[in-house]
Amino acid sequence: MNHIRQGIFEIRINKNYCKACGLCTAWCPQNVLAEDEEYYPITPGLKNCINCKLCERHCPDFAIEILPPEHPEHSRYKGLQ
Amino acid sequence: MKLQTSQILRDYMRSDMLPTTWCPGCGLGIIMSSIVQAIHYQGLAKDDVAMVSGIGCTGRMSGYTDFNSIHTTHGRAPTFATGLKMARPDMKIFTIMGDGDAMSIGGNHLISAMRRNIDMTAIVVNNNIYGLTGGQSSPTTPTGSKTTTAKHRTIERPMNLEVLARAAGVPFFARATVNHTASLVKMVERAMNISGFSVIEIISNCHVLYGKMNQRPEASDMIADMDNDTTRSNPALIKRSAQAVRITSPDAPYGDHEDAEEIDHFHTDHKTGRGIIIENKGSVDFSTRYYDMLAHLKGQEGKAGESA
Repeated sequence: MNHIRQGIFEIRINKNYCKACGLCTAWCPQNVLAEDEEYYPITPGLKNCINCKLCERHCPDFAIEILPPEHPEHSRYKGLQ
Repeated sequence: MKLQTSQILRDYMRSDMLPTTWCPGCGLGIIMSSIVQAIHYQGLAKDDVAMVSGIGCTGRMSGYTDFNSIHTTHGRAPTFATGLKMARPDMKIFTIMGDGDAMSIGGNHLISAMRRNIDMTAIVVNNNIYGLTGGQSSPTTPTGSKTTTAKHRTIERPMNLEVLARAAGVPFFARATVNHTASLVKMVERAMNISGFSVIEIISNCHVLYGKMNQRPEASDMIADMDNDTTRSNPALIKRSAQAVRITSPDAPYGDHEDAEEIDHFHTDHKTGRGIIIENKGSVDFSTRYYDMLAHLKGQEGKAGESA
């Protein structure tokens, strides 16, 4: 059985593309995403993220990018393969 | 390292055209990303793909993707695509149409293209309404739903593209919804590799016009309802529906929503099946006939030029 390490992926939201439709917050199974006062998504519960990528798949405006820890643009990238 | 979806999209989009002009939460963006992912996973270069689109909200899709693209007249996208396929037989051609574009204004052209059976992939986005022009009834508006031109609810029966495709002898027909993004990518990939005219009908949402008049003003509600408003015909999907619900957010309405009685006037026989895949294994791609005819005509022209 695959072990899921929660919260290791980085969710990046591009506010220039985001239209605050609320699809990602509705689909998030772990309540990682929430809406701020302008209905844009924010990630207060990132440590619960199970890496399902439903938000990225369901984003109709290509505003959400999910970076795995081995990606060079990830904030905690350590150069590991 | 497997590329993430958003990084695939970055390469295939015209990023200076973004953000899109579609309404917030419109399923067209999901459809566009599925097509792009399918093309990426098939390993096609951008120059090998052409995207032909008609008029409507759906027609804007060819402007956002970085393929060879034509934005054609209303309903005539398959016709232009036929001409393109004759000139460039090596190209993979996607014909993107909305429901009004494909079934009412261009219905004639779609039927002719189905009969002609030339190698291309037609994607018909069905959102039950004419979106761009302000919410008029389209051929696929379900019976009993309100639109701008049917204030006292539609009394006509919706059109079923599956039956039309069967009758016209299409080698491949599939139907999906924007709720099922992973299977959508696989369906587009499968349709691309069919030799002949393959059709995918994708059920999308128009919550801004159709949803507002039919008690579904939120995009998330409308997309979640696609599970209930479509009947399951694919055995794999029927099996999956018996398992646990995937949407576990407490706020997401699913299944027993409060105003379930209000949509009871949608009779069950107007439900459309999703996950349908029809594939005629023995069908012949007719485009070779047309290429032969073109070669023959060119040969005759050459002979006429020599004698003169």
